[in-house]
Amino acid sequence: MSKRQLAMVMDLNKCIGCQTCTVACKTQWTNRNGREYMYWNNVETYPGAGYPKNWQELGGGFDESGELKEGIIPNLEADYGVPWDYNYESLALGETMTPNVEPTWGPNWDEDQGAGNFPSDNYFFYIPRICNHCSNPGCLSACPRDAIFKRDQDGVVLVDLDRCQGYRYCIAGCPYKKVYFNPKISKSEKCILCFPRVEKGLPPACAQQCVGRIRFVGFLDDPESQVHKLVHKYKVALPLRPDYGTQPNVYYIPPTEAPPKFDADGKVIEGSDRIPMEELEKLFGPEVHRVVKTIREEREKRRKTGKSEILDILIAYQHSEMFRLDNNYYQEVAKSKGLDAVTPVDTRYIKGAHTKTISHFSVAGGHH
Amino acid sequence: MKKLALSSAVAGLLASSLSGANIVASKVEHSLKDISPLSPLWYEAKLVVIPVYPQTTIKLNDKIANELNSHNGSKNIKVKALYNDKEIAFLIKWKDKTLSIQKGYRSDSFGDGVAVQFPVNYSNPDKLPYIGMGSEGREVLIHLQKAAPNTYEPNGHGDVAHQVNRHNTNYFGEDLAKFDSEVKDIAVVDYERTFISAGFRSMTEVKDGSVDSNMEMMYNITKGCWKSTLSRPLKDEYLNLDSPAFPVAFAVWDGDKRNRDGLKLLSGWNSVQLEGREGGDKLVSALNDEVKGDVANGKVQFQTNCAACHNTKDFNMAPPYMAPNLSNIGGQATVGYLVESIKEPNAVVVPGYNRNAHKNTPWYNLENGKRVSAMPPFNWLDDKTLNDIVAYLKTLKADEEK
Repeated sequence: MSKRQLAMVMDLNKCIGCQTCTVACKTQWTNRNGREYMYWNNVETYPGAGYPKNWQELGGGFDESGELKEGIIPNLEADYGVPWDYNYESLALGETMTPNVEPTWGPNWDEDQGAGNFPSDNYFFYIPRICNHCSNPGCLSACPRDAIFKRDQDGVVLVDLDRCQGYRYCIAGCPYKKVYFNPKISKSEKCILCFPRVEKGLPPACAQQCVGRIRFVGFLDDPESQVHKLVHKYKVALPLRPDYGTQPNVYYIPPTEAPPKFDADGKVIEGSDRIPMEELEKLFGPEVHRVVKTIREEREKRRKTGKSEILDILIAYQHSEMFRLDNNYYQEVAKSKGLDAVTPVDTRYIKGAHTKTISHFSVAGGHH
Repeated sequence: MKKLALSSAVAGLLASSLSGANIVASKVEHSLKDISPLSPLWYEAKLVVIPVYPQTTIKLNDKIANELNSHNGSKNIKVKALYNDKEIAFLIKWKDKTLSIQKGYRSDSFGDGVAVQFPVNYSNPDKLPYIGMGSEGREVLIHLQKAAPNTYEPNGHGDVAHQVNRHNTNYFGEDLAKFDSEVKDIAVVDYERTFISAGFRSMTEVKDGSVDSNMEMMYNITKGCWKSTLSRPLKDEYLNLDSPAFPVAFAVWDGDKRNRDGLKLLSGWNSVQLEGREGGDKLVSALNDEVKGDVANGKVQFQTNCAACHNTKDFNMAPPYMAPNLSNIGGQATVGYLVESIKEPNAVVVPGYNRNAHKNTPWYNLENGKRVSAMPPFNWLDDKTLNDIVAYLKTLKADEEK
């Protein structure tokens, strides 16, 4: 456990699957240097196989007794999909447009397919996913090199690229499959929660760019943060697959708004849930029943009285309220470490460079 | 008094005939710097067969790899050594039917590899570093060579321009080809690394070029066999091998079985004697003498005293992560280590064990910032029982792979 924990809340009622977050992340971090296939942020359609393919079936995380479970490292061609490109240059010479690799799978291969029969009971919704920066990370627990650490000052989980030897146990250990192997540097990489931005008071790129304004970012222990209010005060935001036992710090407002189902004659079935509650329970745990009820009640309350703090937060009026990153906090951390304003407050991810002595030996082992 | 009696028992254990693999390094006048596996100098060296056993102490969490390696046997690697006034070189040969080179743009491809390990301090042959990459206060130096394609430094030595994806450049045609070749030029072609380590979790790469060594790996397709060499100075700021005898250990990885890290075949500590030098007998004897003891009684005593926590190929009563699995301890641990660990479990606490992965079975507890083994000391065992248990433990090793 870190001293403080940054968290993100995503309102799934408002996600339109536009992938602006995905693009923001990709252009910022993963369009180069062996990361081309990676999506530190992706938006997948549920129900669907997701990205990497069938990630929920690939193991990792902890069992009920707290034991790390075995996991499977996804295959790049079959499960992630090799990024392909077209022969644009040759089109002028009369060639037909062909991809340079046979596309077999990709991050949005089953986008918008969903389940059920149109129009009676078909449904789908979007789940944007980033690294959960877990309080009990499976990746960190799986690493035999102490190459993954959780920052004390904000709980961001990072890979120390000087210690990482590319064994990929972290990928097997992460039940969300949000650690990726970079074949170019032969080391593992993952979402860094845009910590260089966060330290300067800016939200992660995915949250900043979100056109639906579905993402709230802040410290969980900051009572003024909307993240705190949604997770702890109103308890309407839930982690994804809490049964994996990693204690994720990305929370979701479950999708509550969907039209009712239609019967064979095309008539509305009153009170029916188009999105099956059992599916939501699988994703967000048994708490989801209470949360869905609360959100619906709050919506009614707002409709009737015009008042509901939960709805006011979820409407997301101001970026300044959605993101409370407390710039002064990081400046204080830097100051307490005797660092100047430009240096990142934690440079453990490059520790080990040019060393003549053993750089690491945390006696506690496993947690820094 | 008891302590004295026990130490004489240890001495008793060692006073028997030589049986293990003692590598005798032949002296040459030629330079050994960058010696290749094909050098004719190797004809002058004596060949020694050294068995390597699967690492089964700790099981890691890659499901497919665990399935592929669940029935690993041992292999015999062949080793030769040469030295001159300044350098020492090893030739290592081992069978591997599948040539595996870590493939380029893949997420689940692994390469074959080989490593040579030296203890930093070997003055007391009964207190050598833990074979699994050393232990706290007992450091090792490791030379590693892997069959890997071109890799790149994560920060590209600060050269941002060449870290851009080729599609994001403004180049076309010849200019793009030039960009590609410039990128290729900054690649690390040879995946050779040196580490210092005091336990497998602490392993730290020496990156500043302060170790002047060279390793090579060559695969013979017709024989299905790897040949690898290491050449290094007898003496540098990390190691002093300039003595009559010193210990060495070897490990090989099979990329086809997704071997990496702990998933490997590992030898015990072997002695290397520099031909023509007097001394080192104590070390050679400590690493090679056979234990004479009542193995059958040792097995019974093991069942009584040890099997509740330690699994072996004979006993599987303990929960899977309760304590180190001892199925191959006989192939990898020295007699001195076994005696020490039974009587004084805190002397070496397997340091890399990730307690966060197995919260219910911490192998050690923290007391005043120190690791204290969860195993109680068995210093009350009488000499014969201890001797018989050690004799039994030395029989615990996988059969040779067919």
